Amino acid sequence: MITWLRRNLFRTWWDSIMTVVFGYVGLWVIWTVIEFVFVTGRWEIIQVNLKLLLVGRFPDELMWLVGASLTALAFWVAAVAGGSKIDLNNVQTIPQRLFDYTRRFGLIVALAALLIFLAADIAALLLAFQVLGAVVVGRLVGLARRKVSVLGAIPSIIWHPMLGSPAIALVLVTLMESTLEEWGGFLINFYMAIISIVLCFPLGVLLALGRRSSFPIIRLVTTTYIELIRGAPLFVLLLLAGVALEFFIPPSIAPDAIFRGVTVFTLFTAAYLAEIVRGGLQSIPKGQTEAGKALGLSTTKITYLITMPQALRNVIPAQIGQFISLFKDTTLAGAALNILDVLNVGTAITKQQDFLGQGLIYEALAFVALLFWVGSYVMSRESQRLEKRLGVGVR
Amino acid sequence: MKKATLFVSALAVGALVLSGCAADDSSESTATTTTNNNSSSTTETAVETVSMLEAVQAAGTVRCGTRDALPGFAVLDESGEHVGFDSDFCRVIAAAVLGDASAVDMVDLETADRFTALQNGSIDVLVRNTTWTATRDGSEAATFLQPTFYDGQGMMVASDSGYSSINQMNGAVVCVAKGTTTEGNAALESSRLGLGWEVRAFDEVDLILEAFLAGQCDGWSSDVSQLTGLRSAYPDGAAALTILPEVFSKEPLGPAVLDGDTHWAQVVNWAILATIQAEEFGITSANVDSIRSSTTDVGILRFLGADVPTSDGSAVLDPGLGLPTDFAYQVVKQVGNYGEIFARHLSPLGLERGVNSLWTDGGLMYAPPYR
Repeated sequence: MITWLRRNLFRTWWDSIMTVVFGYVGLWVIWTVIEFVFVTGRWEIIQVNLKLLLVGRFPDELMWLVGASLTALAFWVAAVAGGSKIDLNNVQTIPQRLFDYTRRFGLIVALAALLIFLAADIAALLLAFQVLGAVVVGRLVGLARRKVSVLGAIPSIIWHPMLGSPAIALVLVTLMESTLEEWGGFLINFYMAIISIVLCFPLGVLLALGRRSSFPIIRLVTTTYIELIRGAPLFVLLLLAGVALEFFIPPSIAPDAIFRGVTVFTLFTAAYLAEIVRGGLQSIPKGQTEAGKALGLSTTKITYLITMPQALRNVIPAQIGQFISLFKDTTLAGAALNILDVLNVGTAITKQQDFLGQGLIYEALAFVALLFWVGSYVMSRESQRLEKRLGVGVR
Repeated sequence: MKKATLFVSALAVGALVLSGCAADDSSESTATTTTNNNSSSTTETAVETVSMLEAVQAAGTVRCGTRDALPGFAVLDESGEHVGFDSDFCRVIAAAVLGDASAVDMVDLETADRFTALQNGSIDVLVRNTTWTATRDGSEAATFLQPTFYDGQGMMVASDSGYSSINQMNGAVVCVAKGTTTEGNAALESSRLGLGWEVRAFDEVDLILEAFLAGQCDGWSSDVSQLTGLRSAYPDGAAALTILPEVFSKEPLGPAVLDGDTHWAQVVNWAILATIQAEEFGITSANVDSIRSSTTDVGILRFLGADVPTSDGSAVLDPGLGLPTDFAYQVVKQVGNYGEIFARHLSPLGLERGVNSLWTDGGLMYAPPYR
């Protein structure tokens, strides 16, 4: 221990000074944070406005739909994860697995526990158990597909939509039952990010292929699109969509602010994603395409079976980085499109009569930051896992 | 052969991408062209025949441009409802036009977007703590109506600072919120009096508070209504702060509608005026029913849209504004009179009526006769 300290922290007098100074600064930062969270912070502003921060003005009588969508989504994800084959070279002991689970889900569970504690509401606790139950059932269903041959015989193309359909149906029902203007809070950031990510991915891949196409017009069109979108700041595009659109389209038929936000995010991220994917495609040696041709495969098949899977695998970190950035950029939509997103709620609640002028903006912003941090961290964690599974950087 | 296949498949992929783009492009361009025609035709017809009033009645809701974070005037409560002085005047307009104070669509606007929203027709009326100025009347295509609140910019200092007038504040550091007229007014006043203030602008009120508590600001300048609210919530108690007597700008805050629709402007104006007239009559949301059934005062009966005895039977006054004849009754019954709205939202901040008293009490609130 002492040898370790001497070797790593106090090797020279210069190292000793650095260790002491940075140790002091580090402790001071940790102490300040602990003091803020447990002593000086006045968290009742979050407690009182919890619903507003999480779902905005979403009507109470439709809240069960949000809970049901969440449960169905959890079931779907668990079933897909449970159905995938475990890497046989990597059998783990039980403590190892527990450690792995804590690392992966501990943060989400902790956040859920915090929210339930803040809500101090039996319904929130019930929802948590409901989601937990859905995860367990989903896992078992996924396992059953691997073990029971009848279920295993169902082709993936039917199996996955079948499991996912309740979640998608519930999300669609929620969208139709409530007016979008009532949506707000973190819910809106979450949904905007998820929908934009799902939509921009195929568009980005197509754009990347278009830019490498041997057909000049396609190259020209896609390159122009990519460079134009990448050349404009996201905030400007959002402002254009939010403010300028109605000068061209009558307000009666103009799309909803949230719809505009999703459109801009999709188009914007697709342009960046296209360049990321193109980078991935360029990393594939030409010999692979040539080998495909030698086997008599069509260009579509070569792209679909050989180059694209490897290209996408190689650029996972950059892709996830882009998605995380998109997730956080959804707060810009709040500022540009007057959507009542979580950041807008966070600043608005400090102006309430009970909390006005008491410096509670820090508490509000800290809570908003926590929500985004947990979301982003989980995304990057899972991407690392995916990389490990696919053996990126090993082969 | 191989080359041909390659070319064909490239063509296929290309066509796919191209058709995606082309579909996007064409739909967008057609949308723009058709809507260009549309919007120009609708604005023309709006000017000539269709008033915003009919559009609002057809839609069944008033789209009211407001905000979500101005203490006393419009804030979000825990359930996300808009609460405040401005929000209540949105409800007043809805109660008058549609007979239902809850038929309001509150549209939160950033300060920079508010006139744009009015111009492009995404709101029907702007009730967002907006100062009536000549430039806004002239260049922002806005028509300002009866002010609901006469405000003015003032200065707040620590009580133990020794300042009792802004004239003593030589070379002081004055902290303001960024983005509104406040910043410019402070600089203007400083140069007018030759005081050499250093004006420091902050994004958030809470940040000014932090700076003020840390002693970085000698004075805190904002509209007096805002200063009063902040003072009442000051961590060290309201007595630790003093608002100096000088008010160095005029800020008449009132609703605004789009230029060129006199009919709608009159309707909104009379909805606001009804709250002032009701207070002058002494009619409140609590006693409006009993007054309506028992009074013999012809003026009050007319105002509330009740039967007024005439030489040949009785009649209800319809001044021809396009409003329901009982609009004033609905306004007072569902929202309240001016004094009630003021007492509900601004008195808790510690604001006095001051110039916002009725003219009968020496203030500026005066409604033209309803007859």
